[in-house]
Amino acid sequence: MIRQLIIVFYILIGVLTPSISIALVIGSDQEEIYIDANFSGEELLVFGAFYSDPSQSRDSKSDILIEVVGPLEDVALRKKDSYFGFWLNSKSVTFRDVPGFYYLSSTSELTNEFLTSNQIGLLEKKKSEMIDWSSLTTDWGSIINEKEKEEFYNALIRTKKDESLYKQVSDEIEIIDGNLFRSYIDIPNTVPVGEYNVNLYLIIDNEVSQEYSYNFMVTRVGIEEAIYTFSKNYPFFYGLISLIIAIVIGWSGAEIFKRFRKV
Amino acid sequence: MSIYLPIAELSVNIFLLLSLGGVVGFLSGMFGLGGGFLMTPLLIFIGIPTNVAVATSANQIVASSISGTLGHWRQGLVDFKMGGVLLIGAFFGSILGVWIFSRLVAIGQIDTVISILYFALLTGIGLSMLIESSKVIRDRIRRKSVKQKIHYHNWAHRLPFKVRFYKSKLYISIIPPIIIGFVIGILSATMGIGGAFILIPAMIYFLGMPTSKVIGTSLFQIIFITALVTILHATTTFAVDAVLAFFLILSSVIGAQVGVLAANKLRGEEIRALLAIIVLGVATKIALDLLVKPNEIFNLSVIRLVF
Repeated sequence: MIRQLIIVFYILIGVLTPSISIALVIGSDQEEIYIDANFSGEELLVFGAFYSDPSQSRDSKSDILIEVVGPLEDVALRKKDSYFGFWLNSKSVTFRDVPGFYYLSSTSELTNEFLTSNQIGLLEKKKSEMIDWSSLTTDWGSIINEKEKEEFYNALIRTKKDESLYKQVSDEIEIIDGNLFRSYIDIPNTVPVGEYNVNLYLIIDNEVSQEYSYNFMVTRVGIEEAIYTFSKNYPFFYGLISLIIAIVIGWSGAEIFKRFRKV
Repeated sequence: MSIYLPIAELSVNIFLLLSLGGVVGFLSGMFGLGGGFLMTPLLIFIGIPTNVAVATSANQIVASSISGTLGHWRQGLVDFKMGGVLLIGAFFGSILGVWIFSRLVAIGQIDTVISILYFALLTGIGLSMLIESSKVIRDRIRRKSVKQKIHYHNWAHRLPFKVRFYKSKLYISIIPPIIIGFVIGILSATMGIGGAFILIPAMIYFLGMPTSKVIGTSLFQIIFITALVTILHATTTFAVDAVLAFFLILSSVIGAQVGVLAANKLRGEEIRALLAIIVLGVATKIALDLLVKPNEIFNLSVIRLVF
């Protein structure tokens, strides 16, 4: 595993906003996360600096926002209803192109207006009643009622949160010395494989003044990856090999114990 | 220590898996059962997705029924011809079963249907075992009546396509065994069981087969049924987890042998009653999961990764 592989990027925006001279420096301790037999989740370290001039004090209004967006997936959300006392799946909604992992972290609480106007964020803000559904393409099926749509939307976020796949926090970015920051992002063992985007925003006066993105990959490795790929590409031979293993162990097990009993 | 299961896509404690396989293997060796009817629900209880539990359980039964068949085969207690006829039905039954299974997965009702089927099956098994073990004397009388039925000509003897089964000393139509095989095939593919619990009484009561040949013949045809179900699941539902199967097979084969040894020493109606209680306990747990309002009434499943 390549740890401590640091990507450092400098973006100078002196040209665009000449009044403030700020540089954004970010890095991460890994550019690839490997899922192997013993994978039980990992912590991704994202760090950087956001001022170029050390003599300048940190403006109280400037904030850092880190967003991690996992690979997109289609999900089916099913609701259980009681039929004659039995809890059975009833209504179902398909959400298309939903991130399999989503993390949003900021140095201060962000308002819903800010997130909506900058088209950042996926999670509902408890304080606001407004929910932005525009970022999700959905197939509502038989559901037409707005209230029920909202119920499903909230359930999507909640179930993803329960699996530690969605998270929105405002206290995980650690600021050191006024202009250095670092954040540990929990990558749980249930994360989907694929490409992850890390978006970093510098916010001044409630406006995104700087933006920087980079990618990292979550990949399956080792024997688990080989078995998974083989089962998808050659399902018949995969089934056959599973059978042969069963036959060999079943047969030899009986033979070995037969000898034991004779002794 | 935990191991990542590549198809189930989750980590499970390895000792939990080994003890699960060992206990189910022990019970199956002791009572001469396949054990699939306990393996599948227990796998679901420890968090394995229903489809993976069913498909992998079928794979595991291949191993345990091979172990079992060998002994019966050596003693000449397998009616291969009857097994073959049953398999014709089972072939088509398991194809239909896997098709039904993948339809149920697609509409999101697989968990519910499996729960209801298992509740019915386990309640039936548990109650019949409990009654049987508590009434040993009645059990003996019943066995006598079974022997009388061998020469009793029922509807199976009146249908066309009659074939002589020398080993079972039968001259019956092949239609009933094909139908029985068909039904067992469906159940095996949808529930991940060998189906011996239904097959054995059906062979005795409907076909009139001699009891001595029944167990070997049913085990023999279960090998092929579950082998076919394994291949069908691997190619259509992609739910066979080879890593999970490996650990279950390893521990259940050992457990089964220990179970056989133990059965010789402490065969008793009390142990049979104990198994009945375990089975009924599992059935109750399944029923409660269906009846008690879940904490989260929504459940999420990933249909497809978008690349």
